[in-house]
Amino acid sequence: MFIYVFNVLIGSRVTRIFFFISISIFCIACVHLEPWERRNLAKPQMAVEAFPLLNEMRAHNFGSREAGSGSSASSGGGCGCY
Amino acid sequence: MRVVVVVVAAIKAKKTSIQALTAAALLLPGLVFPIVNAAEDDEMDFQFSRYQEGKRNLGGVPNTKKPIEVNSLQGGAKFSLSDRVKFAFKYTQDTWSGATPIGTAPLLFGGNKKLMSNGVVTGASPIISSNYYIDKNTHQAQKLIGYTPDGVALFSANNQLVHTLSVASPETRKQGDFNLSYEWDEAALNLGGGTSVERDYESNFGNVGARFDFNQKLTSLNLGLSYTKSDTNALMDHDAAPYIDKNAYLSSGIYHATPSGERIQAGREDWAPNIGITQVLGENSVVQSSLGYSHATGYMANPYKVVEVGFVDPNQIPDFIDPLGDGKNYFGDGRPENIVNANLKAFLEKRPAQRDQFNVSSRFVQYIKPLDAALHFDYHFSSDDWGITSHTFEGDWMQPIGAGWTLTPRVRYYSQEAADFYTPYLLINQKSIPGKTGKPSPDYLKLPNNYSSDQRLSGFGALSGGVSLSKKFSKSVSLDTGFEYYTHDGGLKMGGGGEASYANFNYYVVNASIKVNLASLSHSIATEGHGDHIHNHDHGAPIPAGVMFGHMLDKPGKFMVGYRYMHDSQAGSMLHGQDAVADSTLVNQACGSAPIDKCFIVPKEMNMHMHMLDLMYAPTDWLNLMLMPQFVDMNMSMRQIAKPTDFGLISNGNKLAHITHHVDAGHSTGGVGDTGMYALFKLWNTSNNHVHLTVGTTAPTGSIDNMLRRNHQVDGGFNDYGMQLGSGTWDFKSNLTYTGHWDAWSWGAQVGGTQRLQERNSSGYALGDVFQSTAWGSYNLFSWLSSSVRGVYTEQGKIKNHYNGLVQALGPMDYPKNYGGRYWDVGFGLNAFVPSGNLVGNNLSVEWLEPVSTDVNGYQLNRDGALSATWSYMF
Repeated sequence: MFIYVFNVLIGSRVTRIFFFISISIFCIACVHLEPWERRNLAKPQMAVEAFPLLNEMRAHNFGSREAGSGSSASSGGGCGCY
Repeated sequence: MRVVVVVVAAIKAKKTSIQALTAAALLLPGLVFPIVNAAEDDEMDFQFSRYQEGKRNLGGVPNTKKPIEVNSLQGGAKFSLSDRVKFAFKYTQDTWSGATPIGTAPLLFGGNKKLMSNGVVTGASPIISSNYYIDKNTHQAQKLIGYTPDGVALFSANNQLVHTLSVASPETRKQGDFNLSYEWDEAALNLGGGTSVERDYESNFGNVGARFDFNQKLTSLNLGLSYTKSDTNALMDHDAAPYIDKNAYLSSGIYHATPSGERIQAGREDWAPNIGITQVLGENSVVQSSLGYSHATGYMANPYKVVEVGFVDPNQIPDFIDPLGDGKNYFGDGRPENIVNANLKAFLEKRPAQRDQFNVSSRFVQYIKPLDAALHFDYHFSSDDWGITSHTFEGDWMQPIGAGWTLTPRVRYYSQEAADFYTPYLLINQKSIPGKTGKPSPDYLKLPNNYSSDQRLSGFGALSGGVSLSKKFSKSVSLDTGFEYYTHDGGLKMGGGGEASYANFNYYVVNASIKVNLASLSHSIATEGHGDHIHNHDHGAPIPAGVMFGHMLDKPGKFMVGYRYMHDSQAGSMLHGQDAVADSTLVNQACGSAPIDKCFIVPKEMNMHMHMLDLMYAPTDWLNLMLMPQFVDMNMSMRQIAKPTDFGLISNGNKLAHITHHVDAGHSTGGVGDTGMYALFKLWNTSNNHVHLTVGTTAPTGSIDNMLRRNHQVDGGFNDYGMQLGSGTWDFKSNLTYTGHWDAWSWGAQVGGTQRLQERNSSGYALGDVFQSTAWGSYNLFSWLSSSVRGVYTEQGKIKNHYNGLVQALGPMDYPKNYGGRYWDVGFGLNAFVPSGNLVGNNLSVEWLEPVSTDVNGYQLNRDGALSATWSYMF
């Protein structure tokens, strides 16, 4: 396990992708918005998770059909053995 | 010049005041920075969804098995316990049934054996262990197609694979979970947990999380850790278990031969930390990125899936050496020397006991100003030490289309590499050796360490597309409905090399949900000054939870949303009329008269759970319209009261072969029930007395064709009448209700009934008509709490006609004569009303109905009682 974790952390695409995204985020973290500039961001369609109920159900379906989208570990979700 | 300067100054002044106003408006509660981790209002939501798979391709064998379907119901609520403390809970239940692959084998092996009836193929039955021919050089499966005049057998090769399908009877999973959070101005801490229970699997989970906001809430950091402990307790299919090699599990201690059948009992633990960042990029875009890791240990295999292994004995020596002088040798039956027997055996699949997985997710949301729309783009990558890497791309376009409607088309693509130990099936170049007396066969030692032919571990791609339509009614209620079609296809795998097309399948999902924002409701009630009115209305005449159609909305334009739960349980003695009867009487009297039609099993315990949504609207003050969708699930356990041998019968090749399955596994069903549509008319109304009439109908949306699975090569036939989800007929319902109140006292009475409008439903029968009358009294203990006592008399007729298809009658519940009866009950209830605060207008009631007298038609299980609980909200 530790060798695997080490390999992934050091070399794999996973970490590279994450660090790329994180660095990009911190590069623009100096963004400053006045309250009236946040109007569009407050719209319901701009919510990062706009369909919480639906997406939880979808994640359960995907998780019981796909090996990579596994949502069951963190949220119960049952066996999905069918 | 001077004029120009003045104008510019005026414009500047105006702009500043607009900015100031906007800023002030945005500082109102609920409007400030709801971008990153919005401060959520108190709300209540319900969702229904239906997952329906398409039929699998069995390579030419007609597939008459119903594909997998899953009906799910979800209800939840979020409440503020104080300004900073929030509590959320959620209940989820899903019932699934249908045909699912248990293994994969060459098509020529014939894993799905054709079932014939009068020379016509009527279906397929799973075979997991037998022989077939292969070419020992190419390893292709071979089919005998004829003989030459010399007696040489001719073969054609076919390398196509096919899933072996087996039908699973319905099963229900229930999950409850909660979340408690504490909010600071720029941070939050939350704690959650829950449990998920199904017949063969239970998991308990907990999680902690923290959020830190920076940069005026334009940046948020999320940290989380979750732990899940799961236990598998799977009863292996009694029919198939003798043909499945479990020897690889003998030393692990998770395989158990118990008196109630062969079981896999094993545990699993998952730890999953994650870290995420959400960042506002500008006025119009937000991005979120997270890194997750999960570490799972224990039993992660599927206890119902096998891997087919073909053992090819290398010592299959031809009998005749070059008999035709063509340089080839032949077997005695005319087979050329390269066509040999493969002995196919089924092994319970085996997976590594550990899995480490990394996940990276990112989500990007961009506001599209000219269209007032938002584009959501998600990417997810995962990689684990089983060799599975996956990529997911999803795009959603959220388009408001006016009047509170939003249309959201979405498309998703997923692709994964196969697990290292995935294999459709295995060929071993060794002879299969049966176990010696008392010793296991050593065949499992010839297999790799791990092996699975579960399609979800194969290499494939999946494409799905769908649309959601949402409507927001004022600020308080929103409805959501959607559809999505999904196709799993080996050919869609990124970079090619996916599983062949035999494994392709598709499904669609439809969903509908309603969300009620309690905070904005109470706000609107307060501002409209209707709070007092609602208060008085409910406060004056609380209705016991078990009474339906108990009150009307009396202001035009008002809505009510309610949820109603009913649990009914039966247990104890078997009754004939009012009296308990002995098993020996039941055997001979409660079923048929021929020896094979005696009663061999009787119900031991039966539970029904019903979830209903009450949606009510008052177009005028004298008329209310009501819609009641329902969700039902039931389970029944049985006990055996006679042995086939008592009547000189053998349980082989006839319905008696099912007895073990009924007793071991019980029955369960669940899904959408019948849908009620009603109109309530106010007949008489004074300040203290009220009379109204309810008329309506229930549409037969509940299914009535639930079948038991085929076992031991005998069809299961219809599940018993009491386990079907609806009546199957259009039913007419009418009710007359009187309510009154004075001071702290209130009372009421109701008479009503259900009349079936058809003699037969599509399965051939109709449930008996129902008559019910009830009266109650109630006293307000406090301003917010009242208690009630109620008497109920119910009468229901026998079932009319009978199933128009196969019924493998084994117990009293399979006979229409053993349904209906006359019942007296007394009910004790509590009714709580929230008179003020954030949750004003909410009403909660519970009632327990205790049977007083039971007089059944025919022979039936005694009653245990019924629990009703309702929540309702008027606005």
